[in-house]
Amino acid sequence: MLGKRISRVTLFVAALGVAAGLSAGPALADGAIKIAVPAAFTGSAAGYGENIKAGVSMKVDEINAAGGINGKKIEVEYFDDQCEPREAATVSTSIVNDADVVGIVGHLCSSAHLAGLPAYVREGIPAITPTATSVAISEKNKDEAGKIWSFRNVYRDDFQGKFLADYMDKIMGLKKVAVFYENNDYGIGLKEAFVKEAKKLGLTVVGEEAYKKGDQDYTPQLTKLKAAAPQGLFVAGYYSEGALIADQAAKLGLVVPKFGADGFDNADYVKLGGKAADNTFLTAPFLAETAGPDARKFLDAFRAKYNRDIDWMSANAYDAAAILAEAIAKVGPDRAKIREYLAGMTTPEKGYKGITGNNYFDAGGDCQKTAYVKEVKDGKFIPASKQMN
Amino acid sequence: MLEQQLVNGFTLGLIYALIAVGYTMVYGVIELINFAHGEIYMLGAFLTLSFISLGLPLPLAVLAAMLATAAIGVLLDVIAYRPLREAPRLAALITAIGMSIFLQNLAMIIWGSRPLPFPKQALPAFFAESALTFADVSISWMQVAIYVVAIVLMIGLNLVITRTRVGTAMRALAQNQTAAALMGINVNRVISFTFALGSGMGAVAGIMVSMYYNTMYPTMGYLAGVKAFAAAVLGGIGSVPGAMLGGVVLGIAETLGAGYISSPYRDGVAYAVMILVIIFRPSGLLGRAVVDKA
Amino acid sequence: MRGTVTTLKYLLAAAALAYPLMPFRDVYVLHVLVLIMVYMVLAMGLNILPGFCGLLDLGFVGFYGIGAYTAGLLTIHYNMSFWLIVPLAVLNGALFGVLLGSPTLRLVGDYFAIVTFGFSELVVLFLTNEIWLTRGPLGVPGIAPVSIDVTWLASLLGISERWRYAFRGEAPYYYLGMAMVLLVYVVMRRLEDSRLGRAWLAIREDPMAAASSGIDLFAYKVIAFAVSTGIGALAGAFFARWTLFISPDMFKFWESFLVLCMVVLGGLGNINGALVGAIILIALGEVLRVALPKLGLPAETRFLAYGLIMVLIMRFRPGGIFTQVAESTMQSGLIKELRAKLAARRTA
Repeated sequence: MLGKRISRVTLFVAALGVAAGLSAGPALADGAIKIAVPAAFTGSAAGYGENIKAGVSMKVDEINAAGGINGKKIEVEYFDDQCEPREAATVSTSIVNDADVVGIVGHLCSSAHLAGLPAYVREGIPAITPTATSVAISEKNKDEAGKIWSFRNVYRDDFQGKFLADYMDKIMGLKKVAVFYENNDYGIGLKEAFVKEAKKLGLTVVGEEAYKKGDQDYTPQLTKLKAAAPQGLFVAGYYSEGALIADQAAKLGLVVPKFGADGFDNADYVKLGGKAADNTFLTAPFLAETAGPDARKFLDAFRAKYNRDIDWMSANAYDAAAILAEAIAKVGPDRAKIREYLAGMTTPEKGYKGITGNNYFDAGGDCQKTAYVKEVKDGKFIPASKQMN
Repeated sequence: MLEQQLVNGFTLGLIYALIAVGYTMVYGVIELINFAHGEIYMLGAFLTLSFISLGLPLPLAVLAAMLATAAIGVLLDVIAYRPLREAPRLAALITAIGMSIFLQNLAMIIWGSRPLPFPKQALPAFFAESALTFADVSISWMQVAIYVVAIVLMIGLNLVITRTRVGTAMRALAQNQTAAALMGINVNRVISFTFALGSGMGAVAGIMVSMYYNTMYPTMGYLAGVKAFAAAVLGGIGSVPGAMLGGVVLGIAETLGAGYISSPYRDGVAYAVMILVIIFRPSGLLGRAVVDKA
Repeated sequence: MRGTVTTLKYLLAAAALAYPLMPFRDVYVLHVLVLIMVYMVLAMGLNILPGFCGLLDLGFVGFYGIGAYTAGLLTIHYNMSFWLIVPLAVLNGALFGVLLGSPTLRLVGDYFAIVTFGFSELVVLFLTNEIWLTRGPLGVPGIAPVSIDVTWLASLLGISERWRYAFRGEAPYYYLGMAMVLLVYVVMRRLEDSRLGRAWLAIREDPMAAASSGIDLFAYKVIAFAVSTGIGALAGAFFARWTLFISPDMFKFWESFLVLCMVVLGGLGNINGALVGAIILIALGEVLRVALPKLGLPAETRFLAYGLIMVLIMRFRPGGIFTQVAESTMQSGLIKELRAKLAARRTA
């Protein structure tokens, strides 16, 4: 009896001690300004997390090299949420608990962001997400007083879906298309917006099929869609499934242009899809080729450092970090004041002109930016010959 | 369209069958659901990838991967399951789940958690193309290869089980372990052989799947494993022809279900089949009647 | 010696109660402690079947999810009070337990495990696909936090104010969680000593003897299952009103595995062990989360460790890591007497 009691007591105390010890983080470098970057650095979305890290770190290094913000250096702490809501909730408490953190660039995934939002809104810490596109975020980012705490400099899923419908109708002149969407918030959000706009334009959606993340065999659904004879196939999902879908569609004899959203924008799409990846059109928030001269400088620096071309996530993260830094520079390292500043960036004049264009927010914390179209041709991503902006 | 769906379903079904025989053989001899079998299937694909990147030509890489996975299967038995032969069934089941999680994450650590493409250069070029097209149905060469290999392997397996000594020993063990031991059968050896055989077949399934879909990822074993297990149950757990039949039936059912009824519930077909078969007809299609111990 | 231990226990209890009120409290630590409490309840719930009936429920997460979604959906659609939701969620969980258990509890251990596993996967599929009901993969965001509303009392006293306190931050959940864990623990202990518990013990120790004593094995198994699933749903309801956002992929098989790990670690059938198992695994998870990147190991090592722990425990310490803790459940005089009686019946 005794032995058991003592061992239980010691265990509990030990656990408490460990947990307490863990929370004593490293001391902040004297006078540094701290920002938090929660994203997926392990798990299947780790590649995207690395993109965000690349963008943020480049901007922060740039600022620190030039002397920091009003003489103080910026310190970045990265938190791994694995793109999982439960991890994001745990991580968000660490972030709000750290009084030195004045702002957040993140999260990466919409579901993670939604899970972390309650903590950010409740404790009052501003966040700018460079990549979370779910519409639900704009509905959940206000506190009781109606103040917005979460902003984004990427467009929303409903915008992308609508854009693609317009593009297919106006630019490519298609009349009948099929949709194959991933059964998650991203895919469903895209599909709903697409179908709604298609209906308005008189573009016939001949079939809507769903797939699950990680599926390997898409032949039943593709066979069904093929039987409806579409002129185009919109795949509302990510590149790893998209590549398989492209390959299997080709094998089944469904040879039509494929369309995707930002989730397709990854070099692995071509690697995994092979020849079948050709003839794909995708929306992207950022096109290196159309960027201005300041952006070019950054692009070359990025290519020199990371040995690859920039992707839109890194570009958005770079600008998000820049916006946050500018806010800190103008109003100081104060969470509430930073929020006020960001909420005040409501017109193009007050926007931040970054490498991704002019970033300013509307009443919902969303960003009005245009989309570009990329095409996969001969195994390469190139700007589509016809743009629509 | 129906014909094409049947072709798709048959391909899927053969893959399930190859994995299912592994489950059913192991269950037959030691009455254990080898949860880690799905990971064996996954490792077959990844090991082939590694062997190819070490420079081996495709046929040798496949053979090496098969042997390596067979060895891993045997190791699994010797290290994790054999010590628990006398323990309650729950313990062995839990161990199997633990090993499954362990192997899955080990693969993630070794090869990363992102999907990897099957090295294109290793495959003959025409494999990727569509082969036969007739009456609105297309069958690719890769699919044909899957049919041939799967059917050959299953015939071979049947021959091993019915015509060889070790196969007879396996069947004896499945019927009555004590009696088999009394007849002079080296129980441990035969069980290890069963694991090796089942793992080899599972590995081939994994390799072909990664070639056919041109991709592999560390968690691919989980879902495929569950479905193949459902197939084994459907066919009658413990019966090898049952597993083959169950695999094909499940593959076709899943494809038709996804094509005609509801694609989001496609995985549900396997789960529903599993639950219904276990509750209403535990002996499955071809299995012997299972004695209820409740 | 006894005196010292009791004093220690009281000190520890006092410290635990006072911690959230201390100025040096850490919100992250509080969050982890509340998480531990949720898993403690889950572990105690899962523990019932193997402990008392020798069966393994591999689909426990399904009931966790049912409880969470019942609570989440009722909250956002009807703004129902948490205190009303709890019994509803528990009943819902128990109901599904009876529905699933009735056709399946006669099955042999392996088959039962597999069927429950299939069930929980179907639950996730349902939650993901039936968007009209559950919002599917979009999840249920913006669930209102727990609140205590005693406005009726105010109006009784003639005061026309809203006497309402809505939970903010981790501290109120910390206390609520403690209350929940305590409640479930006390219920479990009482059950153990009750007629129900004795029947369960008899079923586990010797089903044949139990049946011949007139115990309806099947009925008792169904009751045990319903209690187990009801507790799982309770944890789910708390979880939903705590994290304020739920989505179907929070209820995948992995959670079942994690809770199973805790129960196995503490010893199957051992209530105290379940609590210990929950503490160890969650604390371990958080320690590894911080330590692994520093050691240069990827995060997957954390899950690998869990799998390895399961295998090692089963191999070397199937009674759980603290065998003394395991034996404590057998200390009750009643239980000893019962075991003696059963042993006599067996040898007779």
